[in-house]
Amino acid sequence: MDATSGPHQIPPAMALYAEKHRIFELMQTLMEALLIYRPADPVDFLIEHLQKGRDEVPRVLVLGPPASGKTTISRWICKHLSATYLCPQDLAEDRKLKKSKEALSCLSRQGAIPDELWVTLLEERLSAQDCVRLGWVLDGFPETRNQALLLQEKGIAPRHVVVLYAPDTVLVERNLGKLLDPFTHEVYHATFDWPVDFMVQRRLVAPEGISEQDTAGRLLESHRNIPGILQAYSGNHKAINADQPCVDVFAQALHFVQSRPLSKAPFLPRVLLLGPPGSGKRLQAALLAQRYGLVSLRLGDLLREKVADRSPLGELIRPSLETSYPVSDNVVLRVLRDRLNQPDCLSRGWVLHGFPRDVDQAAAMKHTGFEPNRVFFLNLPVEVAVQRVCQRATDPVSGERYHSTFKPPTDTEVNQRLRQNPRDQPGRVEVKVDLYNQQVRELEEFYEDGIPLNADQDPYTIFEHIESCLVKPLPASRH
Amino acid sequence: MDREEEGRRYLEQHKIPELFHNLSALLLYHRPEKPREFLIQSLEKIKLARMTNDYPYLMDESNLNAMFDMLDTAGQGYITLPQYKGALQSMGLNTDDIMYLDTDTITSDVFKEDVMKKFAAMWASF
Repeated sequence: MDATSGPHQIPPAMALYAEKHRIFELMQTLMEALLIYRPADPVDFLIEHLQKGRDEVPRVLVLGPPASGKTTISRWICKHLSATYLCPQDLAEDRKLKKSKEALSCLSRQGAIPDELWVTLLEERLSAQDCVRLGWVLDGFPETRNQALLLQEKGIAPRHVVVLYAPDTVLVERNLGKLLDPFTHEVYHATFDWPVDFMVQRRLVAPEGISEQDTAGRLLESHRNIPGILQAYSGNHKAINADQPCVDVFAQALHFVQSRPLSKAPFLPRVLLLGPPGSGKRLQAALLAQRYGLVSLRLGDLLREKVADRSPLGELIRPSLETSYPVSDNVVLRVLRDRLNQPDCLSRGWVLHGFPRDVDQAAAMKHTGFEPNRVFFLNLPVEVAVQRVCQRATDPVSGERYHSTFKPPTDTEVNQRLRQNPRDQPGRVEVKVDLYNQQVRELEEFYEDGIPLNADQDPYTIFEHIESCLVKPLPASRH
Repeated sequence: MDREEEGRRYLEQHKIPELFHNLSALLLYHRPEKPREFLIQSLEKIKLARMTNDYPYLMDESNLNAMFDMLDTAGQGYITLPQYKGALQSMGLNTDDIMYLDTDTITSDVFKEDVMKKFAAMWASF
């Protein structure tokens, strides 16, 4: 056979490397940039683009009707992600920009700056170092569809568009009590957001154009424009109800801004399910295996397989299993490594449960080169765990499993011959749950990206949650 | 002409897919800790190589020898044209301008020379 023709066996290290360093996304952004700007010399352009630095900086638009809280939310996002805050008013008055004179004269003459000029101003401001390196949040621009289209033509594309909405009555009422600090340009409200600082209280002034008629006019205009703008950002906008406490709106906006778009990068799930006995690890693993073809691995089963093999490694494990004394970490890791290196795990991905039991094992696993890319913590109160596990029973004739509360046998004959596994006795289960609870804090710290789940729900609800987390890329880390 | 067509033509004209193919191959082969810096260096090398002809080859002579030996399992000292074509394709080189006949056999030296030439021609076109 011709050894050079496909399918090639790609070394697993390459796939791991590409996933860890997000090579696919890096290449994708480079390709996007090339297509947007179409430089005559792509090599030079790419070098420059790569030197500019991070692609993951926030590039956010915050849109919404007047008084929906755009400015507050934008400022908070900027503060939290240390991005640059931009708004049209500042842009027009920024004297460092080349076209600022033109903008100012426009403002003084007729009161409106043409769309083209806005976009040129913005383009220049966005190419400044602080915007490129730290990212930016643009507050209340574009205001019309035309402006949005002009931005697109210039290749200015936000990564996230936050759209705030609220009922008109709420907005009108909010605007009536609006107060402005003339020094810092912070916005306050007479009833909802009264400043604590006495000095600030004294210098507050009511801004212009907040009467009911004015607001109604501007609301009408924004209702007319926003649908058109959103058509330009159909893939990456999120509407957030602004008629909630500020903190809640901000939390939702931040969560959205930190999310990453769905990626087409080849992705092989390597899932870890952690949880106390009875939390449904085995069921979820089986569901994942069924739905995505992952290899479901349970450490206890792997060890027992080895013993059944009568391999030299199995002989090492046998005494521990017979005395229910924990198998040494070295042996466990060898068993695990042998299994995870099998072609089925490498080509289909895996879901592992029953391991690691503590941070040392987790670190050892990382050291061996097997890092999970999704970690789920199935949290369950002790009482529920005990109830779930201790009432399990098996019919020795049919092998069917029953539960005295959730799935009692209908046949009295079956009921009489049910047997309970000695490992399911309440005392033993409580010990196991305690052991798990002692370790889980440290494990949670070790797996920073771990996803906590409430396991005290319907199994398919939990499965749906796991699925959604598997499909979505992990949010950008905060540091 | 619609924008999509324009974009495709641009990519084709500047041989971007080939460039990206090679850059990704370099990245995955060397697996550097800082991929961005590594890419910058590689691109700088390509730029420099326009003058000096010293391209960041992924393959050196020993790799090509190994590849040739894999194809020439019987140790005859030559490979056939389909094997030659397959080898070029799997390295991402174009096979449109092959001048050999179907019955020709390709020796190790010719193979290596051709591959190096083709690589140089490809890098130079970026």
